[in-house]
Amino acid sequence: MKSICLFLTAVMVICSSQLLAQNTVTGNIVNNTTKEKLAGAFVTLKGKSGKEIKTVTTTGGDFVFENVVAGNYTLKAEYVGYEILTAQITVAAGKQNYFAMALAEKNASLATVNVFTVINSDKEASSRNAEKNANNIINVISAQGIQRSPDINAANVLQRMSGVTLQKNSGADESYAIVRGLEPRYNNTLINGVKVTSPDEKARFVSLDIVPSDLLQKIEISKTLLPEMEGDAIGGTVNLVMKDAPDTVLIRATASLGYSKILLDRKYSYFSTNDIQQKSLNERFGSSYVAQPGDFSRSNLDFKGKTPIPTGIAGLTYGKRFLNNKLGIIVADNFQNQYYGTNSILNSVVPDIYLAIPALSDVSTRQFSTQQLNNGLLLHADYNINNRNKIILSNVLLYSYLAQSRISVDTAIKGGNGGRTVPGTGPVSTDYSSLTTHELLENLKLEGRHILSQHLFFDWAGVFSVATKRSPDRADLSVNKKIDTVHTTGDVHGPYTFITTPDYFDDISRVWQHNNDKDYSAIANLSYKTTIHKVFIDVKAGGLYRHKTRYNLQDAYDLKPTTNSNGVKQVFTNIYDAQWVVYNPAGTYDYDVNNYHAFENVTAGFIQAKIQTKKFDVFGGIRTEKTEQGFTINTFHPGAINGVNKDYTDVLPSMMFNYKLNLKTNIRLSYFKSISRPNYYELVPYRILSSSSATDEQGNPNLKHSIADNLDLRYELYPGDEEQLFIGGFYKRIQDPIELAYIDGTTYEPVNLGTATVWGAELVYTKYFGNIGITGNYTYIYSKIYSIKSYTDLQAQTTYDKLQERPMQGQTDNTANVSLLYRGTHRRFFAQLAYQYIGNTLARVYPIYGYDYYQQPQSFLALSAEYSFKKHFTVFGKFNNILNTATTYKINTLIVGQDVFKSNALIGFRYSR
Amino acid sequence: MKTRKLSFLLFAAGITVLVASCSKKDTTTVITPTVPASNPIAPGSISGFVKGTFTTGNTYTITADLTVKPGDTLAAQQGVTVIVKNNAQVNIAGVLLLVGTADQPISFNSDSNTPGSWGGFQCDSAQSVTVKWVKIANTGGPDPSGGPRKSLFVAAPVNVDIEDSWFTNGQDDIIRCQAGARVTILRNTIQCSGSTDGEAINLKSGVVGDVGYNVVYSQAGTGVKLETSSTAPFPQTVVNVFNNTLVSNGWRRGAAEPGRGVSVGLNAKANIYNNVMVDNYQGLELFTDADTVNTKYGNNLFYASIDNYSDTTVHPNISIPLRSNFYPGDGVGKPQASDLISTAVGDKDPMFKSFDGKVATPNGAATSNDYHLQTGSPAIGKGNATYGVDLGAYTSDATKSNKH
Repeated sequence: MKSICLFLTAVMVICSSQLLAQNTVTGNIVNNTTKEKLAGAFVTLKGKSGKEIKTVTTTGGDFVFENVVAGNYTLKAEYVGYEILTAQITVAAGKQNYFAMALAEKNASLATVNVFTVINSDKEASSRNAEKNANNIINVISAQGIQRSPDINAANVLQRMSGVTLQKNSGADESYAIVRGLEPRYNNTLINGVKVTSPDEKARFVSLDIVPSDLLQKIEISKTLLPEMEGDAIGGTVNLVMKDAPDTVLIRATASLGYSKILLDRKYSYFSTNDIQQKSLNERFGSSYVAQPGDFSRSNLDFKGKTPIPTGIAGLTYGKRFLNNKLGIIVADNFQNQYYGTNSILNSVVPDIYLAIPALSDVSTRQFSTQQLNNGLLLHADYNINNRNKIILSNVLLYSYLAQSRISVDTAIKGGNGGRTVPGTGPVSTDYSSLTTHELLENLKLEGRHILSQHLFFDWAGVFSVATKRSPDRADLSVNKKIDTVHTTGDVHGPYTFITTPDYFDDISRVWQHNNDKDYSAIANLSYKTTIHKVFIDVKAGGLYRHKTRYNLQDAYDLKPTTNSNGVKQVFTNIYDAQWVVYNPAGTYDYDVNNYHAFENVTAGFIQAKIQTKKFDVFGGIRTEKTEQGFTINTFHPGAINGVNKDYTDVLPSMMFNYKLNLKTNIRLSYFKSISRPNYYELVPYRILSSSSATDEQGNPNLKHSIADNLDLRYELYPGDEEQLFIGGFYKRIQDPIELAYIDGTTYEPVNLGTATVWGAELVYTKYFGNIGITGNYTYIYSKIYSIKSYTDLQAQTTYDKLQERPMQGQTDNTANVSLLYRGTHRRFFAQLAYQYIGNTLARVYPIYGYDYYQQPQSFLALSAEYSFKKHFTVFGKFNNILNTATTYKINTLIVGQDVFKSNALIGFRYSR
Repeated sequence: MKTRKLSFLLFAAGITVLVASCSKKDTTTVITPTVPASNPIAPGSISGFVKGTFTTGNTYTITADLTVKPGDTLAAQQGVTVIVKNNAQVNIAGVLLLVGTADQPISFNSDSNTPGSWGGFQCDSAQSVTVKWVKIANTGGPDPSGGPRKSLFVAAPVNVDIEDSWFTNGQDDIIRCQAGARVTILRNTIQCSGSTDGEAINLKSGVVGDVGYNVVYSQAGTGVKLETSSTAPFPQTVVNVFNNTLVSNGWRRGAAEPGRGVSVGLNAKANIYNNVMVDNYQGLELFTDADTVNTKYGNNLFYASIDNYSDTTVHPNISIPLRSNFYPGDGVGKPQASDLISTAVGDKDPMFKSFDGKVATPNGAATSNDYHLQTGSPAIGKGNATYGVDLGAYTSDATKSNKH
């Protein structure tokens, strides 16, 4: 056997040096007494020639050297606080050479770290490790966990994590994270640890459905904040950690195809984008241009049913280390072209005057057809100048294109144009909308990590982040008709037939919108680590400065039907025959209420210290954040506010205690203070006067930022590799929470609503029984806020504002995720059946006292499975919403809305090595 | 001279006895003094922030938006002519006091003299609004942010007094008041306004007051529309709608969205009496969501000068039976015993002095109808006495009657 090997080696050396790659050196490093696997240990392989190759162990303590020429070597293992271990080894050709190394703890200097911990956090087991070793309370899901899940984007992955639900944006995919019952405004989103800009024209948050899950190394949700973290998260911080350069060569390619059932059951409504002008008339021809009817295209309002091509997803990842492992590079691209749809019912409600309760005023159906194309490109390079200095450059570029048609049919039951007399009658208005948006988000980060001395560490980062959204020519055509009864015998109680008027051309609106959000951030931290009498002390101080500019620009045109000779508006037959006049030929570019320019400068500094003994970790510190922000708008109302500047500084203490009951158990207690800044557009004193219901909408420049006191307690048990049991509870008191409210019953505006409290309990459990595992989480949340509602006293015939106690907007009471996992022997087959329960959720506030929109409890089931063969190949399937669960909204017992998405399926294969 | 005086006295005494025998209530004629010109504004071009008085007989040209700050007053004396250029509008956060006279009305018009070519009076947060004997023409159209402009807009709980004025060839809503404004809208003429939408008098969210003796002719939408806020049912919009002459309204929006002579919806409450409604798409509509329990109506005259209106521009042609829409089928309003409801062409014809019988006409079309009642009109003497003896805007009671 040995001679055969030697012979083969000889042949290979002669034939091709490439084949030398078969000589690999693998191994494992553990603590010699506790047998704990040592992640991030430095391993050096030194040949006779003096040439060295270096690597770092994975979470499991594993290391790999590839392309090793057979021969004698010195293998050296180094780890923080451990004695260096060296061994003379012989690498045999053509086979895996495995070396187990056990390091002895060094008693003297526990904390003289001089290696960079590169944790291969691809594997789900590493998530447990990260959760266990974190200074704060976090939940982590790894790339492996994501890959095995039924989910294709970050939003879908998130909703399976403990304490997270998603806010639905009507018709599109679900996208904004609600952490611990707190709306997206109370959370922040990071990419590689740094806040991202938002492509939303009004808010701060990022739609997570544009982030392909294949680019993620892990998602980390921090539920408590350390002083070194940005302080504007009350619910939590969602950190999307992108793929890092691998230790070995990584090649992964994936492709899949899928279909959404709803588009098998009905046609996809398609419109042509060929004639869409990318820039508005004002932008093309200047602000003095007078728009002509012929300036507006027609084909994007011509809707045809078609069967779409299937959803397709393709991805490619390549990673390798060069220059003696000094330079690591990873490039990943993921392309998704999805087609999906929604069928909805959305009924409007007005208060019934005699009962002072909500009653239906309209019934409407909506049909959305959506094509969403996402492309995520990731570039990462790190360079180890030496083993004390490292530079990392990473760039994340996310592009998302959406083409959506919306057809809604609204029948008035009551209201200003008459209502329904018998079922089937009433004024019917039909809206046809076409929308295309292009979103781009780029995050470029250059960072450095430096070991200045045995105790002193320095890291810095410069970040450029930009997010843009362009929606050229959002077009909406509305036509209306009226259906009445004709009593055939002249008796109003007698038999009747229906009579329908023709469709009249009512109105067309065309809106060009684009926005831009740009950040420059600079971050620097200095830390001092030492060990005094076996007590590890880590003191860190640092700062951040961020300069943000952002704007939104919109130019809108209204097209009204030309009238016939008798002055009556024309009947609508089709878009190509419709004739219109441009109602506002100047456009709205100069004075659109949505247009604003804003800035925000955040200057933050912190100091924190960690004292670590065998049993206790005590962590404390303080952060200050100074915020200067402002905006300007153009208003044609003389004397109206056209700019606001705000300035505030917060001092945010944070304290954490971790009692390490044993090696597998943590008990954590923490307190921290955090803030939430108002959304940009909320501060703008825009006022939109309602033309129909006399309910106006306005911004509020006096809005204060929210400040919260947060208390957390969590018990953590880590029985094995991927296993966990967390039991936790939290309490939050939020000063000046921001919610939309109706002031005097007639003006809808964002306001500070006194003090809100939130408390909740969280449970996370993962356990394997041989091949079968169960993983799940359960969250219970109770929140209380007093909102301004319109209260009607029928006796006294008055309506006045009254405070109503209710949960916070977006809060779900009970959330549970339970997944059954099956992993076959040799880990070739993996299947996951994921069940999700989302309880009663306060979806939207209704203006009348005692009534709100609640999303009804719902259960979802999803299945994913994968099978690996021939070492590098995997086939997989992802099946979502198998139960065809619909989302229903009610105001008390009145059904006011329903969204039907139906199931979707995706089947694909993956090559990886 | 002396004898003439004596005989006159004797004659007067006789008359006095005669008249006293059929005694008559007090009649009061209010004499409005000419407002003295405080802060007179020099004639010529004006724009920007302004306060003071447009003085009698002068012509002013508004070249860009005009704004009256809180606490300031913009007044105009009789006989003032104002020409508005560049689609400008007048913003009032203070007091608007336009007082013309029957002989010398005030005039506001655009230089282009086309519908929707200037912005009207945006009195959203005004302290008070008084418009008497003013001719306001060609208002409406979009504001710079694209929103439709009402010709006279008030959104504050202040007194709004609009009397004896003309609103002609405007677009969108003409008089729109909300947020608890207290209105006195008497003896105005609103005609040929609204392109394909817009009400003549649109009162919402807690407006109270009187709408009487107005003529509304050929409005795109509804003549008088009353609603309360959809989110705050109280205070209610409570309006007396009486003695208005509402003719040929509600056609231009098309059959899918007919306009009415008078409509009451969304918890509004009204007393609707003594109105004359002729050839409106729909007559008096009480929507199901109105305060139907407390809304009272009667003594209204409904007439159609043709049996059916045939819209030949639509294929297939639409034929709208006018008389079946006096109380539209989708509302809860029912004919009252005191109503005068025509059953055929010629039956209960109010007998306007002149009426061309045109049903649907374009925004800004010329008209020479005269809605005074001829002798023998069935509308005479049939009024609910609380509001007046006759029906319509032109009555035999000269103190109340529309003076146009």
